Amino acid sequence: MEQQAFLERAIEQYGKATYNFAYRLTQNEADARDLTQEAYIRVFRAWKSFKPGTSFLSWIYRIITNLHRDELRRRKGRYLEEIPEDDGAGGTGRPLAVEPIEEYIEGHLSEPVSKALASLTHEQREILLLADVEGCSYQEIGQIVGCSVGTVRSRLHRARGQLRKLVTRFMKSSS
Amino acid sequence: MNQTHLSTEELADYLHGELLAPREAAVRAHIMSCPICERARAQEASLIEALRAHARRAERELPESVVANIRAAVAQQPPTFWDRLRLALRPAVLLPSAAAVAVALYFGFTAMHGTARATTIEPAYYIDNHAAMTATAPFSDEAPVPPMLTSENAPFADERPVDETR
Repeated sequence: MEQQAFLERAIEQYGKATYNFAYRLTQNEADARDLTQEAYIRVFRAWKSFKPGTSFLSWIYRIITNLHRDELRRRKGRYLEEIPEDDGAGGTGRPLAVEPIEEYIEGHLSEPVSKALASLTHEQREILLLADVEGCSYQEIGQIVGCSVGTVRSRLHRARGQLRKLVTRFMKSSS
Repeated sequence: MNQTHLSTEELADYLHGELLAPREAAVRAHIMSCPICERARAQEASLIEALRAHARRAERELPESVVANIRAAVAQQPPTFWDRLRLALRPAVLLPSAAAVAVALYFGFTAMHGTARATTIEPAYYIDNHAAMTATAPFSDEAPVPPMLTSENAPFADERPVDETR
């Protein structure tokens, strides 16, 4: 059947990327497995709504982020340990002071980055992952998370500022 | 441009390839000539690289159990309305169905209205009707000749035949 073939091809080509995106988003394997499974069931059901010529990854990332948000809402913020955003963190017109990030990029940085990512809000994490890890354009991110390019830009800058601050904090505490 | 340094926001947009071409060229030129902004760019780039390195380290294969669960779940999915319709409209199903419907319609119609009879005219009705018509128009060209010709009803009865031998 055509629908079944579509699903199999999608899993074969994008299954790993989808699972890894889900894992980075949820930060745990059990949730990533559930999310990936549910996302591909949605793909199977709604396969007709996929427009050929568009990015399948963008489509399935949108499904995943929506499912993840629904799940977080359902759990009533059990995993939402939000750190208040510091609007002044981004700074404008001023270069950054010397930061330890570049000195520890390999090896030492993994744990602080992991902790910092886990400490971000799910909204900040998803936008950072889409922009910096997945390499999506601002427009693609806007389509995935359902907001304008301007909102993507401002959210991303806030998230990066917050991440920078958290990485520095976790590095200091670990040393 | 060398007087003001680039903001972290603009550097991030630059690294993400989100600046318009003229601005991107200007930023690139500025970075090449400004060590402070070059350092800020390197820091922004290192943050991106740190995230990617972390993602690479944590990368894993899609578990087979997930694929098996997906296949099992979709096997239990009821077909959608459109799928059912598409299945029903296959030629192998559609043609016999259409033939059955046509036969049912035909027999249903004849059962409701009875067999259609051939139109026939009774001879007696024909003669009566024809006689009535000729009675209403006796002088028409198509009026039949009376059945018995007598001196009374003969046409031109008062005219003598001309003897041409005389």
